[in-house]
Amino acid sequence: MKRRSFIKNTSLASGLLFVPSFIQAFENTLSSKFGYKRLVIVQLSGGNDGLNTVIPFRDDIYFKSRPSLGLNPEADLCLTDDLRFHSSLMPLKELYDNGYLTIINNVGYPNPNRSHFRAMDIWQTASGSDSYYQNGWLGRYLDAEGEHPYNAIEINDNLSLALKGKQLSGIAVKNPEMLYRLSQDPFLKRISKNFNDAHLNEHNLGYLYKTMITAESSAKYIHETNKIRSSKIAYPNTDFGNQLKLIASFINSRLKTKVYYASLDGFDTHVNQLKVHKRLLSKYAESISMFVKDLQTQGTFDDTLILTFSEFGRRVKQNSGRGTDHGSANNLFVIGKHLKKPGVYNQLASLSNLDDNGDIKYEIDFRTIYATVLNKWLDADTTKILKGSYKPLDFL
Amino acid sequence: MDSKELKHLYWRSGFGINLQELNALSNFSKKQIVDRLILESKQFIPLLIDVNSLKNLSFQEINKSEVFKRDFLKKSREKLKVFNLEWIYRMTNSTAMLRERMTLFWANHFVVEDNNILHFQKYNNTLRAHALGDFRVLVKAISKEASMIKYLDLKQNKKDSPNENFSRELMELFTLGVGNYANYDIKEASKAFTGYSFEFNGKFKYDERNHDNGFKHLFGRSGRYDGDDVIDIILDQKACAQFICKKIYAYFVNKNIVQEHIDSMVSVFYPDYNIEDLMRFVFMADWFYNEENIGTKIKSPTELLIGIQKVIPITYDNPNELIKIQGLLGQALLNPPNVSGWEGGKSWITSNTVLFRLKTASLLLNNGLISVKESGDFYDRYSEAYTKRIKRQFFKVSVNWDDFDESYKNMSFEGIKNQLILTNLNLETEQVLDNLSHASKRDSCIQIMSLPEYQMC
Repeated sequence: MKRRSFIKNTSLASGLLFVPSFIQAFENTLSSKFGYKRLVIVQLSGGNDGLNTVIPFRDDIYFKSRPSLGLNPEADLCLTDDLRFHSSLMPLKELYDNGYLTIINNVGYPNPNRSHFRAMDIWQTASGSDSYYQNGWLGRYLDAEGEHPYNAIEINDNLSLALKGKQLSGIAVKNPEMLYRLSQDPFLKRISKNFNDAHLNEHNLGYLYKTMITAESSAKYIHETNKIRSSKIAYPNTDFGNQLKLIASFINSRLKTKVYYASLDGFDTHVNQLKVHKRLLSKYAESISMFVKDLQTQGTFDDTLILTFSEFGRRVKQNSGRGTDHGSANNLFVIGKHLKKPGVYNQLASLSNLDDNGDIKYEIDFRTIYATVLNKWLDADTTKILKGSYKPLDFL
Repeated sequence: MDSKELKHLYWRSGFGINLQELNALSNFSKKQIVDRLILESKQFIPLLIDVNSLKNLSFQEINKSEVFKRDFLKKSREKLKVFNLEWIYRMTNSTAMLRERMTLFWANHFVVEDNNILHFQKYNNTLRAHALGDFRVLVKAISKEASMIKYLDLKQNKKDSPNENFSRELMELFTLGVGNYANYDIKEASKAFTGYSFEFNGKFKYDERNHDNGFKHLFGRSGRYDGDDVIDIILDQKACAQFICKKIYAYFVNKNIVQEHIDSMVSVFYPDYNIEDLMRFVFMADWFYNEENIGTKIKSPTELLIGIQKVIPITYDNPNELIKIQGLLGQALLNPPNVSGWEGGKSWITSNTVLFRLKTASLLLNNGLISVKESGDFYDRYSEAYTKRIKRQFFKVSVNWDDFDESYKNMSFEGIKNQLILTNLNLETEQVLDNLSHASKRDSCIQIMSLPEYQMC
């Protein structure tokens, strides 16, 4: 046995001690007991201000550009000589110090789009700014590697484009128990049981039937597989906290789900940004740190990778409403136990060399990050899924 | 006009048609019916709820302390729930059906979210007032509404340091669409919209001191433009008429765009931007009644709810019940997901919403019970067991079956189905229904409203 895999296996085995016995019993019946790698995507919607998230606190240009928004965090939030966390990210400091967090700066793509909707589509479909894709990058992953819609679960009312594939799409779930109860209606069951999929087609009614049948089978699968009804971990009682709590219970119940999708909205801070942004980052960091704890106690953190992104960063210079307008390149967080380059992956781009709009120039194409995750974590065919060849980076 | 076409027209221009109207109108020509539709919507009656307890305050007064402010917002939020409910009732019952339909459409085009009932009510009525009028007047009007000024940060848009939020969405979402303007146009336009503000009651206030009176250069023109000038310049672009016609086509006709139809719409809409003329043209067009456009649109949650209660009137014990249902269906009417509104179409249907949608009619009308009594069964065992088991009422509503019982009493199961559903039933679904008992008209109605086909209009 190679030393590396030996260490990995023993650390997993010791993790078993913390797993409740009913899950162990259940686990034994699964073929891929461990090494079932999962990806959790966290989307910060609205355009998170990366500069006030990971702060270049020694940079004069930063303070000059942001006379009333510039922050100077305490030394205990220190990341490198030049960068410090926003004070709300204190809960992530432990992860950072343990080597479980990689911060990648200046992530973007050529000719950035500053519309929320278009930029979000670009990120979710992994397209360039000049091409329009109908399917999401994770949907295409499902097309290539998935078997069931529940292989990718979004905790939301609606399913994001990111999880929509051509043949197979993920599912959106908010309240699995309610879903299960609804799926047990005998009239609806008769309709779906008798439905002949020879008649399924692409039009709207066919889509409705198909979704109904998917919903029924997924509700049943989740109901039967999800054994953790309430976690002992004290998640913040927010929508985002509840999303992560549900994801943790799915992960810890060993659902056959490779991709989870959560989102936190409200980052479009055009006006009076400081207070709102502080609150949002707290929401994010507190929930994430509880989430990691929850996974750690059940031995599932080893096989979970968390990727946090936003559709764009914000303008370096503040506006007249003590807020910031839409920008472009931004930082991105990767959280996991097996990071090859923990810490700050690359230097923040110079604030004296901005683009024509006054935004940070991109250095790393976001698709190379997807490529890294697909190739090194999910072991998938990168070129096909990303519709192009992107060289994986070495953070994994 | 045949009954299928009539039902199609009434579902798209309103929220469905009841049996009496259908019978009364079936002998008229298409032109007569479309004329009548438009005539009935001529009059504008604002939707007003009682806000007396709030409207005589002032900024100074509510800003005196956090307590006052919080109290104001709390009351306001309660009133907004009432407004939501009254809006649903209005859409269900108004004879100005097309005006209400257009108001709902514009509310998802010029999207705002507001926790101030005074401003939101005013905004909603501005949409209603211009719903079938001059699009140019409508765009200028919404740019001066307190709800919009707040929602897209126009108040923070000042001459020394402009805020681009409104100008960007004005071009991207309200008028031109992506690809028909440059970043530079946004920057220049935002200068023209400086100085916009409002009074406590929501009345527009122009703040000269904050206005940038300099030259602005956009779309190849330059001058000391103000906001209205910029809107005029934008609307001079034919791309704007094309963008709006496309959006109207996708909503009222079909999401699959036929460019030829759009072109013919644009020739009616541009350059006068008369919304009524455009809608008349659409409803008169032969292609509007093409097979592929009938019964192929997925109802929005609002359309689903109103469609049900147009057949069987539902009274909500309190607005919270409605809001709960809207939330579960994925369309809290006063809380759009973001400035682009609800995407509509297939996006309404997800694994998370589809089962609840199918159960909605039964939950509202019969506490969730859909009978599966088979033809030949003497007892309805499932229903009996269900009623014994489920004691609580899921949604606190009162249902009035009187009209339904009266007008459908002599109708066959087939007849009820044809009245409520526009599309052909799936073969297997048809067979499932054939095996069920058709003894109770009410049970039949709930069964039909629980079919995937009922989700279409």
